[in-house]
Amino acid sequence: MQSKEVSASKDKEKNRQDLKGTLVSVSILGAILIISWVGAYILFISR
Amino acid sequence: MHLHKYEKIWLLFGIGSLVVFLLVLGYGAFWQGTHPQSHGITIDPNNIESNEAFKPENLGLTQVEEDKYILNIAASAFYYDLGKDEDGNAVRHIRVPKGSTVLFQVASKDVVHGFNVAGTNVNMMVEPGYISSLETVMKNPGTYTIVCNEYCGIGHHMMYATLEVYE
Repeated sequence: MQSKEVSASKDKEKNRQDLKGTLVSVSILGAILIISWVGAYILFISR
Repeated sequence: MHLHKYEKIWLLFGIGSLVVFLLVLGYGAFWQGTHPQSHGITIDPNNIESNEAFKPENLGLTQVEEDKYILNIAASAFYYDLGKDEDGNAVRHIRVPKGSTVLFQVASKDVVHGFNVAGTNVNMMVEPGYISSLETVMKNPGTYTIVCNEYCGIGHHMMYATLEVYE
């Protein structure tokens, strides 16, 4: 029983660490999308 | 359902950008009246002269108000008919003052043509049977080339005119 709890909390910790790279890559993708939208909008407004 | 803290962040971002996109779309469509350039206003492609705007004497640039112009153009393979000047020569060059509002109205006599004032937002398809129109403010001075950007046949590259926005 005790060992099960220990492994569960370890799993939680593992999950949190695993998603950091995903968050960074998703954020980079999001930033690229927003920059391209804003860029297209600025182009539209300036012409 | 358990969601990781980070998952909540990007789900919120994704849903948020969808909402922003729909709001922008709705604002453009319902408040600003944005629509496709050929928005269901029909014309007989075999007889575009039957429409007041495309009578030979009404082609080309017409000043309607202080800062407002209408430019009527009949597109056909491989020529933009911009009307005739006082001497009866075909107009190939249009001049409008900077900051003027120009309503472009273009109709095709034969096949699908393009109408692009290169370097501006004036860019539309000209389909036979429909009047394509777009109103814009010419705010940047310069000489722009009007080109056909829909392949319309062997002389497609010969189909052009110029538009000058002067200070």
